[in-house]
Amino acid sequence: MIFVTGPLYAGKQTYIQTALGLSDGEFARRAVRDVQELAVGSDPEALADELAGYEIVIATELGGGLIPIDRAEREKREAAGRLACLLAKRADTVIRVCCGLPQVLKGRLP
Amino acid sequence: MLTLVIGGAGSGKSAFAEELVCRLPGERIYLAAMLPRDVESRKRVEKHRAQRTGKGFETLERGLDLAGAAFPENANVLLEDLSNLLANELYESSGGGTEAVRRALAHLIAACENLTVVTNEVFSGGADYAAESLRYMRTLADLNRELAARADLVVEIVCGLPNILKGSLP
Repeated sequence: MIFVTGPLYAGKQTYIQTALGLSDGEFARRAVRDVQELAVGSDPEALADELAGYEIVIATELGGGLIPIDRAEREKREAAGRLACLLAKRADTVIRVCCGLPQVLKGRLP
Repeated sequence: MLTLVIGGAGSGKSAFAEELVCRLPGERIYLAAMLPRDVESRKRVEKHRAQRTGKGFETLERGLDLAGAAFPENANVLLEDLSNLLANELYESSGGGTEAVRRALAHLIAACENLTVVTNEVFSGGADYAAESLRYMRTLADLNRELAARADLVVEIVCGLPNILKGSLP
């Protein structure tokens, strides 16, 4: 599994689609994106196992701003971060995309 | 050796910092700066405690005036974390402000064989915050940069994985 992460609108999907030469249809079949939205209230290990069944998993980083005053917002960021750690453990390759450019954190570029 | 570990919420920075310190020989001290005020922070303290169980850390809970703390010789200290320490010194009634944090860091650097500082990446969520929050962020950023300039190793943690910004992993 290839785990792609990075900030909002960083070009994560565009990067991996281009790098692997995937059509939109192929991408839809082989990849799942915005998994950070699934993190709150889930069993993180079970969710990570399920997501690791995809070839490509994309998550937006949420944990970068000041810690929110709203408790639900805090929990959402924390859960998204934990899920990303679990996905990175299961991944063969972890790529962080920043302004469309890849940085390999684990494994090597496809 | 001075090491700075930076990461966002839930990035795995604490677990990574603990692993780094665990590789060091000698006494390991976990310097916990969070003052547990409510159920959520007490839970967080418990979570971190469980996470380092069996890793051979002695825990020292001290949220203020770290410049007055004594450490054994050749100690490996993990300070968790700079953002809490700064908030305590700025906002607690007995706090000594930013200079107390600078004094604490200078003391720790001088007193410890190895000092590992965990800090927070809180700067990429925009600047749409109250003026006081922005002042806090700017001060934390200043301290992060001051430490990074002095550090032998600076690592940003992204989903549990290291992105080396300075130096190299042991």
